Amino acid sequence: MLDDIKKQIKRLQAQGATYVDTRWYPYEERNSLSMWNGNLKDTNATRQSGVGVRVLYKGAWGFSASSNVEQLTAIYDRALENARVAAERVTFPIRLAEKDILQASFASPNQVDPFTVPLAEKVDLMKQVDAWLKDDAVQQRSVDLTLTRRLAHFIDSEGSQIEKNIVDVFTRVEVSSQDENGVTQERKFRLGRRGESRGWENFDPAFFQEISLRIVQELKELLAAPECPKDDRSVILLHSIMFLQTHETIGHALELDRILGYELAFAGGSFVTLDDFGKLRYGSNKLTARANATLPNSPGSFGFDDDGVPAQDNLLIDRGLLVGAITSRQMVEEANARARREIFQGSSGANRATAFYRVPIERMTNINIDSGTDGTLEDIIAGTEHGIILDGDRSWSIGSNREQFHFGTEIGWLVENGLKKGVVKNSTYKGDTLKFWNSLSAVGNASTWKMHFVDNCGKGQPNQIIQLGHGVPICRFDNVRVGE
Amino acid sequence: MKEIVFSTLEQLRNYARQQGLTATFLYREEDSSLMRFANSAISLNTNEHLIAIEITVYDGSRRASYEVIASPGDQEALLRGVDTAAEMVKHTMPLDYAPTVTAIKIDFVDESGFDAALAEMSSQQKLEYFNAAAAGMETGELRLGGIFSSGINVLAICSTLTDQTQYIKFTDAQVNVVLSHAVDKWEVLAEQSAARKTDLDPTPLQDHLSFLVEHYRQDPPIQLPLGKYDIIFGASATAHMLHFMHWIGFNGGLMKRGYSFLSEAEIGTQVLSPLVNMADDTSDYRTFPLRQDLIGMDRSRYPLFEKGIFRGFTYLQDEADEFAQPATGHTVYHDSLTFAGGDHPVSSLRQLVSEPRDTDLLYFPYLHYANIVNPSRGVLTGSSRFGALLLKKDGTIAVPFNVRISPSLKDILGSQLAWLSRESEANNISLSYGARNPQAIVVPKFMRVNGVEITHSNSSY
Ligand SMILES: [Zn+2]
Repeated sequence: MLDDIKKQIKRLQAQGATYVDTRWYPYEERNSLSMWNGNLKDTNATRQSGVGVRVLYKGAWGFSASSNVEQLTAIYDRALENARVAAERVTFPIRLAEKDILQASFASPNQVDPFTVPLAEKVDLMKQVDAWLKDDAVQQRSVDLTLTRRLAHFIDSEGSQIEKNIVDVFTRVEVSSQDENGVTQERKFRLGRRGESRGWENFDPAFFQEISLRIVQELKELLAAPECPKDDRSVILLHSIMFLQTHETIGHALELDRILGYELAFAGGSFVTLDDFGKLRYGSNKLTARANATLPNSPGSFGFDDDGVPAQDNLLIDRGLLVGAITSRQMVEEANARARREIFQGSSGANRATAFYRVPIERMTNINIDSGTDGTLEDIIAGTEHGIILDGDRSWSIGSNREQFHFGTEIGWLVENGLKKGVVKNSTYKGDTLKFWNSLSAVGNASTWKMHFVDNCGKGQPNQIIQLGHGVPICRFDNVRVGE
Repeated sequence: MKEIVFSTLEQLRNYARQQGLTATFLYREEDSSLMRFANSAISLNTNEHLIAIEITVYDGSRRASYEVIASPGDQEALLRGVDTAAEMVKHTMPLDYAPTVTAIKIDFVDESGFDAALAEMSSQQKLEYFNAAAAGMETGELRLGGIFSSGINVLAICSTLTDQTQYIKFTDAQVNVVLSHAVDKWEVLAEQSAARKTDLDPTPLQDHLSFLVEHYRQDPPIQLPLGKYDIIFGASATAHMLHFMHWIGFNGGLMKRGYSFLSEAEIGTQVLSPLVNMADDTSDYRTFPLRQDLIGMDRSRYPLFEKGIFRGFTYLQDEADEFAQPATGHTVYHDSLTFAGGDHPVSSLRQLVSEPRDTDLLYFPYLHYANIVNPSRGVLTGSSRFGALLLKKDGTIAVPFNVRISPSLKDILGSQLAWLSRESEANNISLSYGARNPQAIVVPKFMRVNGVEITHSNSSY
């Protein structure tokens, strides 16, 4: 098959294609189990295989994919034909930034391949977790387990050939109940980074027991809690909302294709302009953010992106100053040319597709915030006069240029005069992105830093759902409107 | 092609019967193309041809499924899929209810939604359509974007319980044409949804866009003060709000789990404004109707609200089984939601703008990035985008920067609803996460809602 692919690539080059690449997935497998109130509603497995072909012709992309690999020639012809039509409307002929030609492979580290674990053992684990969630106060319990693995080959006309073997595990545990007003309150947990590997060994029953008991306890407190007040105060964001704040107002805002207007017709643009790199004060000097795809255990680490560029650790925001973006080979060339200066030195290796049948676009890797010097959560609370601690993503809605946002959270704890007070429900907060990040007044130390996994980031047309990570400390922001 | 689908399913059914299994087989095929425009170029021209076969094996109240996306000719992989599902079901856990297994009672073939002319449209023809929709408007600063997404869907299903097979084939297209200002960062949008090629006409898109572009260029921008506004929602905003009813409205399974602003006690009572008539109506071809569900149940018109009176929840078969409710024929990838028009005689934006008005009106065509803040209260939040206008009392127009609203569906469609336009249109809300699943909601072209609170107002576009 690899030889056939190389022959097809050569054939299209002979017909005028200036660049061709192919992603062949011999398999991508997914195992998903979903339990509601003790009923194992879904026991699903999927297996898909096929090829995706990307062709550059006279400065325009064509793409074609099929699960029917017996008709390889037709897939390549269609990709070239698509590029030929696209070449009739070119405004900025696509060029690709230089990269190293590589013969390489990447395998995600895992001790126990979750696909080798018997189904009965997985079901037993879920039953056990479900039992820990059982409580008279809990009306709905759900436990989801998703395991994925794929073998993917990347071959391009420049001579790179890369093999990737990637395993990921995701889980979600959730409880909910209606309060006295008939309003549903919920508390959930998603598995994040634990240790250095990403296999079945992440499912440690003792850890799940602790988490399960905690979310049940917090749900009970929510059911008896008063409403979140509506006023301006400091917000202290714990990991399960801090990750989302980072995701929506740093991650998406710094995707270079959005900045260049390639998502304007759908997902939106970015308030960031090319002029802003090296100049814009994105946040207070306590804010340092980076795109780090080199951490071993995260779905945002994949060895090489779908341009064949190796994973990197790049600064995005350096002590408040905007310095970098999430980039691909195509977009850095266009950005540098449009800006008439070299803002980006090569691709940051963030061009990814969710499946063989989707075209790669710029996606977040692990978009992380560096830990700070403001101590533990207790220290941050002690230094807060009038605030609220928030956790758990419930809803998110962001302006089309990522300039403003509204988040609903699962739980809040009021803070008055340095002391943590009771729980409040239906907590929300909102703000303007730059004003918000510039109000960052405390960043927790390394002991507060945790890696959160995201398994549902959507972008692009056709839409692609991708997996990534966010390593974040606990942070405090001042003068934020809550409860609206 | 149909013959290959039937014979593939037949072989799978025979194989499963030989193994003594109870199984269902779902065949899904999509042939999708998407031409994407950005910065006045075709940024991507793609097509995907995918065939997926999902095999579900039942053993009493145990159930497991296995889906293969591969070459249809790979018989071996498909048969191995049956074996895998059969092995999985042994180790899964029994449900505490009895799941209904699909039983197709009569051979059902519905190709009425398939339009060969739409299926055969070339990339060249799509490009010509796009050029016509944007004719005369592009400049260096004002750039063309959007999509022309089209495809063919085939769904076929059978089970070991009967010898019959269901087969549904249909075409769809979703067109979004956007003009965006590179410096001022505003965007205006015109959309069209098509089930047939004859539904496609770039003329009204060009007219709508040129009207908006003219105003966005000429009229003063304004940061709206916070407060209550009388809003005219466009079809897209209305359709996107209604789409949330699939999760937090009339979906019986989610209601039972506590995620609805409607309750069983409200069935038969006045919940929304008497202006609201809403149904799942498979007789409207614009909704890409599925006239049988995946269980083999006929899907005729299913009323949801009549003059604001709530008529009942819809159930997936599995949730009907779990919650001991009668099945409603809603085990489908998408329903056919229609929201009937009212009596206000406005049918275009130009007409709306020229109507005399006794108060300021905010035209709110599109709800960007909406999400559910509180499912139990039906509270959503989202921002304006793609061509909002402030139609002032004195007849002038201003162009508002984007604003956020966080209303409750119960209020929007209840006491605050002032009028619905007589004319309706199909708004294509497809997102194509994963498998191609075209979905359009038929809604009034315009809907006036009074006293909607603006909770955030941008200082720029
Ligand atoms: Zn995202």
